[in-house]
Amino acid sequence: MKKLTALLLSCALILTGCGGGGQESIEKVEGFEGQTLKLYNWGEYIGEDVISNFEKKYGVTVVSEYFDSNEMMYTKISAGDTYDVLVPSDYMIERLIKEDMLQPLDLSRIPNIANLTEGVRNLDYDPDNTYSVPYFWGTVGLVYNKNNVPTEEIEAEGYNILKNTKYKGSIYIYDSERDSFMTAFKALGYSMNTENEAEINAAYEWLSEINSTMDPAYVTDEVIDAMINGNKDIAVVYSGDAAFILSENPDMGYCEPKEGSNLWSDAMVIPKNAENPELAHEFINYILSYDASLDNSQTVGYASSNDEVLKYLSSPEGLYYQNEAYLPRTDYAKDEIFHDNETLRKTLSELWIKVKVK
Amino acid sequence: MKSFRSMAYPYIAWSMVLIVLPMLLIVIYAFTNEGNSVLNIRFTLENFARFFSDRVFFDVLKRSFFIAVMTTLICIILGYPLAYIIARMKPKSQIIMVLTVTIPTWINMLVRTYAWRGLLEKTGLINSILSLAGIGPIQFLETSFAVILGMVYNFLPFMVLQIYNSLSKMDRSYIEAASDLGADKVQAFLRVTLPLSLPGVISGITLVFLPAVSSFFIPKLLGGGKYVLIGNVIENQFLTSGDWGFGSAISLIMAIVIIISMQITKRLDRDTSSEGGKL
Repeated sequence: MKKLTALLLSCALILTGCGGGGQESIEKVEGFEGQTLKLYNWGEYIGEDVISNFEKKYGVTVVSEYFDSNEMMYTKISAGDTYDVLVPSDYMIERLIKEDMLQPLDLSRIPNIANLTEGVRNLDYDPDNTYSVPYFWGTVGLVYNKNNVPTEEIEAEGYNILKNTKYKGSIYIYDSERDSFMTAFKALGYSMNTENEAEINAAYEWLSEINSTMDPAYVTDEVIDAMINGNKDIAVVYSGDAAFILSENPDMGYCEPKEGSNLWSDAMVIPKNAENPELAHEFINYILSYDASLDNSQTVGYASSNDEVLKYLSSPEGLYYQNEAYLPRTDYAKDEIFHDNETLRKTLSELWIKVKVK
Repeated sequence: MKSFRSMAYPYIAWSMVLIVLPMLLIVIYAFTNEGNSVLNIRFTLENFARFFSDRVFFDVLKRSFFIAVMTTLICIILGYPLAYIIARMKPKSQIIMVLTVTIPTWINMLVRTYAWRGLLEKTGLINSILSLAGIGPIQFLETSFAVILGMVYNFLPFMVLQIYNSLSKMDRSYIEAASDLGADKVQAFLRVTLPLSLPGVISGITLVFLPAVSSFFIPKLLGGGKYVLIGNVIENQFLTSGDWGFGSAISLIMAIVIIISMQITKRLDRDTSSEGGKL
């Protein structure tokens, strides 16, 4: 989700040891001095002082590496690389559980799990948090320039506004088969987890039509800067990125299409081959604390899994007050969670290339 | 002599591990489709059948070659005169000019390419300047123009340096001899300088064409994802679909096509240089 930065950063192992601080005195925790935690996370997905405060608190070193897609992360860990904490998305966690690559968490060592907000409890890929603890969550929706696109129009048309030739040459589509096919399936009223061939073909046609009539650009993280600079009028964006765009450019609005969306979550897990699972538990517990969660969500813009932080940031004192994109929509029947399905993934991946090549 | 030869062994081991082994893995993967473990090998041609049975992949390959050829041609057209001018400067200025050409390569390619987004976008520097003259805004970004521009920008130094090297090593007395024998400046250039600089042009072509044909982040960043090149398809097979077998098969096909086209270029080089010998 933060692709470019991850690419830039992944060139090197970044030892986050310097800087930070400024916080009131940090309560020290004994017993872990000199140990190392290996974290594999999305690029630009953590608060400014979160790592350095954790290091000070426990007297440890955190080695962070960054990935820019779940698949890239999967490729690395299945090649045998060891990490103590990973932050994959829902469907990937489902796959990792299926392939027996994760270790069960000892929840008694993660008391802060009580802080989880309602929206990330009982998620069906891991309902009892046996293996995973949510980090960020959100939906996928449309960011639009309020000066050029009337709010009533985009609310009424939903994803089908991507086919409205009035906005030809002015739309950004998210360049991943998962997200683009999600918009197509939802626009057509299907489930995003469908395996029905006719429905997949209809979605393919829907996307192909956009490709041939709308002159869209396919982007990933470039969309954030591009929309802040007002390059185009409409973009398919993750809600967390949208919250950031809205806070930087007041002309932009956010629409969660009525046809439904992908309700996603990224969660922390400990792989089977982790070298320091004890410290990994401490880290997961620490991330769920109020201070760390606040720093994370405030810096990155994605919705916190910590209930108190979520409420504070969307309250009048919070940074994301009246930001339509910050609080993800919950309890909306048409929103779905994406499930791991290997055959579907391959089919969509190949069809997505064909959509763009035509 | 023998003692020197034994000093090469570490390099042989090095290249075995870092060059030969990965290539071998690609070949093995290309002929198997039993998941991503090297241990399950089952010989199959399925990956190749899949590639050739679908026009899409052929179209992508064609487009990659088109963009790479365009990039290479533009690099020659821009790079040759520049290299020629530099080679004729005073030695001190030559050093400065060569440095100027290479300085951009000190910065990471990805960062430089990303900078072009800032220059080309609707509210970017170039459009702001154009708007002062009452033009625009023009859609530069996310067009094939931007892709080729990004490629030429990134790969031009390789072309310039190669041509410059062969031009600066050239013995000036050949040209003097040519003019003594009655050749005018144009004739001397066409019949002496150009043939003698061709090896530089050929290695420049290799250095520009190869990365251009397999590049995947320039079309992604500047082409708005619409210009899917073969490199993007390979990246997609490895990172998104997780189908290493198919990805390796495409890489292998691509490698073969590249080897063939390089052989053709080399042959051209040999033909022209033997002609030059007849002078």
